Amino acid sequence: MRHIPLLVPLAWRSLWRNPRRTLITLMIVAVGMWAILTFSALLAAWADSTRTATLRLLTGSGQIHASGYLDEPSIDNRMSPPSGPLLASLGRPPITAWTVRLRAPAIIQSEYRSLPVVFLGVDPRSERVVSDIPREIETGRYLEDSNDPSIVLGRHLLVRLKTRVGKRVVLMMRAADGHLAEQSFQVVGAFSGPLGAQDQYAFTGLKAAQSFAGVGREISEISFSTPKDTDLTAVIRALRKAAPNLDVEDWRSIAPFAYTMTQLAAGNVSMIFTIMVALIAIGIVNAQLMAVFERTREFGLLQALGMRPRLIVLHIAMESGLLLGMGVAAGGVLAWLTLLSFPSGLDLGALASGAERLGAGRVLHLSIDGRAAVAMAGLVWVLGMAAALWPARRATRIDPIKAMATI
Amino acid sequence: MTAIVSCRGVERTYRQGSTETPALYDIDVDIQEGDFATLAGPSGSGKTTLLNAIGGLERPSKGKIVVDGETTTELGKNALANLRLHKIGFVFQSFNLMPVLSAAENVEFTLALLGVPTRERRARACEVLGEVGLAGLERRRPSKLSGGQQQRVAVARALGPKPKIVLADEPTASLDSKSADSLISLMAELNEKRGVTFLIATHDPRVMERVKRNIVMKDGRIISDERRQAATRV
Repeated sequence: MRHIPLLVPLAWRSLWRNPRRTLITLMIVAVGMWAILTFSALLAAWADSTRTATLRLLTGSGQIHASGYLDEPSIDNRMSPPSGPLLASLGRPPITAWTVRLRAPAIIQSEYRSLPVVFLGVDPRSERVVSDIPREIETGRYLEDSNDPSIVLGRHLLVRLKTRVGKRVVLMMRAADGHLAEQSFQVVGAFSGPLGAQDQYAFTGLKAAQSFAGVGREISEISFSTPKDTDLTAVIRALRKAAPNLDVEDWRSIAPFAYTMTQLAAGNVSMIFTIMVALIAIGIVNAQLMAVFERTREFGLLQALGMRPRLIVLHIAMESGLLLGMGVAAGGVLAWLTLLSFPSGLDLGALASGAERLGAGRVLHLSIDGRAAVAMAGLVWVLGMAAALWPARRATRIDPIKAMATI
Repeated sequence: MTAIVSCRGVERTYRQGSTETPALYDIDVDIQEGDFATLAGPSGSGKTTLLNAIGGLERPSKGKIVVDGETTTELGKNALANLRLHKIGFVFQSFNLMPVLSAAENVEFTLALLGVPTRERRARACEVLGEVGLAGLERRRPSKLSGGQQQRVAVARALGPKPKIVLADEPTASLDSKSADSLISLMAELNEKRGVTFLIATHDPRVMERVKRNIVMKDGRIISDERRQAATRV
C-alpha cells in the first residue's frame, strides 16, 4: 500500500502519453457503461410496465376461485362471497384491497353484430381500488354501484359493434340453471386502455349480474392487491390455509405470459451486461496490451531498477483502474442525463400497439435504482480489472535485458 | 580492501534449439570496494553479459557470484529485484529514464521503492542531482534535457539509494565527446571523493584511460586485469 502514492501519478501520466488511445478506450468503457445502465433502466421499466398493466387490468396480485374454475371458467364453477377466516385474511396486511366478481362467457349483440365477450359483474367501489379500468372511462360514466344494471364496454368494442354510449345492447349467456339468459343493457360508458381488454370485457353491477345469471349471491373470483415488493408466496400460503377448498394463485400463475415477459426483461439485462462487459474487457485488454508492447523497454528498466513483479502488475492495474473508473463514471453520468431527459417517461408512440401486445403500457417510466447502478458499475470495474491482469502479467514476464535492447 | 563482487567459475551459454553459444568461460574476478574499473573489450567479448550477470539481470549457466555477501546465483526473482534495489545502481547506454517523470522524480523513484519518506527522498534527489551538476533542472522531464544531462540524471538515479556498486553499460556510447568527457570526469570524481565503486562495461578508450583498473575480455574470457593510477583530468 505504501507504493500507491508512487504509482498513481506514474499511472496517470502514462495514460496520457497516448491521449488518442486513452480517449478511445475511455469512450468504449463509457458507452458500455451507459448502455448497461440505460438498457437496464429501459428493460426494468418494460418489465414493471408489463407487470403493472397486467396487475392493474383485472388480475391483481392474486386471485381466488372456486376449485376447477381455472380449468373451466364457466358459470358452473362458483363460490360463496368471502367469509370467516378468508374474509379475515383478506382484511390483513399486506393485502391492501380486494374485490369480488362474477365472470362468465357471453355473447353481446348490437343492431348490426354479435361478438363474444367476458361478462363481468363488479362492485364499482372496490373495483376502483383494485383495477385501473374504472379510471379509463373515455365517454360516459362508470358503474355507480352493485345494483347498477347498465353496461360499460370498451371503446373499440363499441366501434366493432357499430353502436355507441346511450344505445342498448343485448347480452346472452348460459345461466346457472342451464337456460339461455338474455337481457338488454344500456351502454353508459366506454373505457379505453389495452385493446385486448377493450374488445374482451363487458362490465355491469355485481348484483345486476348475479340476478341476470341466476346465481344468488355467489361469485366467480376474488381479486386482491398487495404492495409491489410483497412476498407473494407467503400471502398465497396464508390464503390457502384460510380457504383450503378454493384455488388461490398469484399473478405469475394466472398471467404466465406477463410473468414470462418480466423474466425475459431480467434475462435481457444479464445478456446486455455480459456483452457490454466483454466489449469493455476487449477494449481495456487491447489498450493495455498495446501500452505494454510500446513500453517494453520501460518495464524492462523498472525490473532492472529493482521493481518487484507484483508492483509492475499493480502499476498496470492502476492504469486500467483509472481508465475504467473514469469510463464507468462518465457512462454513469451519461446514463443519468439520458434518463433525466425523459421526465414524464418514454412514450412508445408508434410502437405502443406492439408494446401492448407484449403486455407493456404506452409510457415507460425509466429510472435507475441507485444501489443496483453502483453494484453494476462496481462489477464492470472489477471484471475490467480482472481482464487487465493479463497484459499486466505479460509486463512482468518481460526479460529486462531484451527489453532494454529494444529501440 | 573488501570485495563487493566476487565471481568464481562463472560461465554463460546461450542455447537456441540445439545450438549452444558460449558467452562467458570460467570467469574469476573480484571487484573491491572503491574500485573504478572497466570491463573492456570488443563487441561480443562478453563484457555486457558479465555485467548483467553481476547485476542479477542474467543467470549464469555455471559458477557463483556474490554481491556484498549475497550469493546472487541462489536468489529468486524477487530477492534479485531486492538486491538490485538496495545494493546496485545501474547506468545504461540509452539513459533509460522514465519519460513521464521529471529529473528529480526519476531519482526519487528508486528511493520511493525503498520506502524512503517523501521529504527525505526529495532532499536526497536534489542533493545527488546537485552532485552531478544538474541543480536547477530538477523539474525538467527527460525530453527537455540533452543526452549528456539525461545520462547525468541516470547516474544520479543510480547513486540515489547509496548503492554498494554502480554498474554502467557503455555509458558514453550515446554521448558526444564533450558530454562523454564530462560524464567520465563526473564518475571519476564521485569515485575519488565519495568512494563510489564503479564497474563500467565499455570499449571507449577515453573511459579506459581514466579508470584505476582495466579488466580486458576477449571471447568470453578475462585476458588481462591491470591496476594503475587513474588519470586526473578535469
